[in-house]
Amino acid sequence: MEIKIAYLYSHQLNLYGDRGNIIALCRRAEWRGIRPVVVEIGLGEKADLKEYDFIFLGGGSDREQQIITADLLRYKGHSLVEAVEEGTALLSICGGYQLLGQFYRTATGEEIKGIGLFNAYTVAGKGRLIGNIVIETEIDGFKRMVVGFENHSGRTYLGAGVKPMGRVLAGYGNNGEDGFEGAVYKKAWGTYLHGPLLPKNPFLADLLLRQALEKRYGPVELVPLKDGLETLTHERIVERFGKKKKKLFAGILSKI
Amino acid sequence: MSLPSIKTLLAVWLGKGIACVNRTLGRGGTSLPGMAALKVDPALIKKLVSQHRQVIVVTGTNGKTTTNNILAGILIRAGYRVAWNRAGANMKSGIATALIENTSLLGKARTSTALLEVDEATVPLVLADLQPAIMVVTNFFRDQLDRYGELDKTVALIAEGAKKIPGLKLILNADDPLVASLAQRTGRDSYFYGVAASRWVSRVPEQVREGCHCPFCSHCLEYAYYHFSQLGNYRCPQCGFSRPPVHWEAVDPDMAPGITFYLQEKEERWRLSLPLEGYYNLYNVLAAAAAARFMGIDQKIVAEAVRTYTPQTGRMEEFNIGGKRVLLVLVKNPAGFNQVLRSLLLKEGPLNMVIAINDLDADGKDVSWLWDVNFEMLAKAPVGKIICTGLRGADMAVRLKYAGIPEEKLRIIDDREEAVEEGLNLIGPGETLYVLPTYTNLFPMSKILSSRQGKRK
Repeated sequence: MEIKIAYLYSHQLNLYGDRGNIIALCRRAEWRGIRPVVVEIGLGEKADLKEYDFIFLGGGSDREQQIITADLLRYKGHSLVEAVEEGTALLSICGGYQLLGQFYRTATGEEIKGIGLFNAYTVAGKGRLIGNIVIETEIDGFKRMVVGFENHSGRTYLGAGVKPMGRVLAGYGNNGEDGFEGAVYKKAWGTYLHGPLLPKNPFLADLLLRQALEKRYGPVELVPLKDGLETLTHERIVERFGKKKKKLFAGILSKI
Repeated sequence: MSLPSIKTLLAVWLGKGIACVNRTLGRGGTSLPGMAALKVDPALIKKLVSQHRQVIVVTGTNGKTTTNNILAGILIRAGYRVAWNRAGANMKSGIATALIENTSLLGKARTSTALLEVDEATVPLVLADLQPAIMVVTNFFRDQLDRYGELDKTVALIAEGAKKIPGLKLILNADDPLVASLAQRTGRDSYFYGVAASRWVSRVPEQVREGCHCPFCSHCLEYAYYHFSQLGNYRCPQCGFSRPPVHWEAVDPDMAPGITFYLQEKEERWRLSLPLEGYYNLYNVLAAAAAARFMGIDQKIVAEAVRTYTPQTGRMEEFNIGGKRVLLVLVKNPAGFNQVLRSLLLKEGPLNMVIAINDLDADGKDVSWLWDVNFEMLAKAPVGKIICTGLRGADMAVRLKYAGIPEEKLRIIDDREEAVEEGLNLIGPGETLYVLPTYTNLFPMSKILSSRQGKRK
């Protein structure tokens, strides 16, 4: 078996350790005897994304994001949407997530067109939403907590036909108002949980791996891995950051 | 000079009082005295710094503390009376602490030169108060981004701040496109230092490269060679921005043991040796030497001060614990961590390490940066064991696992003292244990190692 991964704009969208997700997917495939093939597709390159099982887009700084948006609309957007419609799995993070929406409205009111994979839009906000975040989501019928770190000034609002990835337990999420985080359309995921999301949430990594493999191989059962270190890391983050801050007073009382 | 106000005096006394208590308790707190004093008199920095004949600011992402301390050593040897924040506390509170330390109980500065290492995000906030004559900039790497937003913004703010200081002279790293761009962006008189091509340069980029795009037109930069990260000989094919001609160039560097190189100034070439390791320290000593030469300090004095430099806590600090060698090295961002790993790979024998990762304010709350460090280079190295500790020790262990380090070589020990003890058990006499902490783990680790060193004597 093999998994073919398109890593879009690896040189521009590489903020905050986003490549950790590619590393995690590749290792977790290799540990099961599945061969990962990563193809980096950069600025100005045309690509038929339908050939891939999985597409990845990370986050970037504002300047880089504008360069990417133009390139995406011109060379890859159409093919990316087709690929997702045909069953390719996709993970997009922060800046990558924003430009897959309908548009991004800057602080000056200018609207930068996105490729519209997600029926969602993003508005530049005052102040950045920064910190550890824990969300609750449902995976294979089980409630799971997904942990990460967010750092974004854009506020994203979802429209019809797109589901949030989960409900925020602690942190801000899409916009800090409606209590939702991320977007899911078919097998395409968008989230503000940046950096090494997948190694910290191994069950999510495996779900994406399964979704990617399904395209060519039909339903796949993955051999379970020894996830002791990953689970420990995950649990510690849930423990430290998973509770809302209103319990501060109770926390002080319990220490007396 | 006018008399200091009661408020200023109270602030100085409070700061001195806290510093005294800290010292008595054996704590290394270098921010608290300044923080408290600034609460009493928010204008304290301006009042104390303005009593100095000249103010020099050192900023950038990596190497500030080492550069600042080497420069301080040179200035002192040249007869200057210098107030400087030697331990690397470089936000407003740390700057205030350093100034208070060198102020009399009557509120008068005892020093005539203020040499201040300033955190790059703090620069825009304090530049107007400091009114420096010289600003030395080391490099701009990705560092603790959760406090700052992105790098571009930080550099823009520094440029804005520098524009407003008349007569400011900039000493800039020519090899870093983001730093070098400050010359044009500020319009201030700028003087450049850089490292010449040698056998240490590489034709291919590393994975982590912050300034891939031209700072002026956003086009991708072309490199003739790289030193590390985005440092190298670059040129923008679109707008022509390129590595500027340098006034001070390090030529023919030799790395082991210690750093030796020739400093090329105009037609002249003279030799410098520094008892430190790591290619990144070549840049630090070069920046300090460039600033000293700009100030007109004699070559002999510079060379002698550099030769006798002793590192501060965690800047490759060495301990001897019962014949076992421990090297303590601060790690705080991908570029710095990569450099440290690369210098460890040059050593012989098994690599045994204690890595201590915290996620408090001063460390950066976001530990995602660990995934931008190229730990993959350890996968083929003779690694003994790696002990992970600190609040984010588990995150560190996961990162190493995915870098290809076998799980049986990894251990998580939450207690720092236990982690060090276990690390020492791994090695025999004459062997070396590497302890790599983030900022808030640095001083606790240093204390643990000092006391272990003391016991065995």
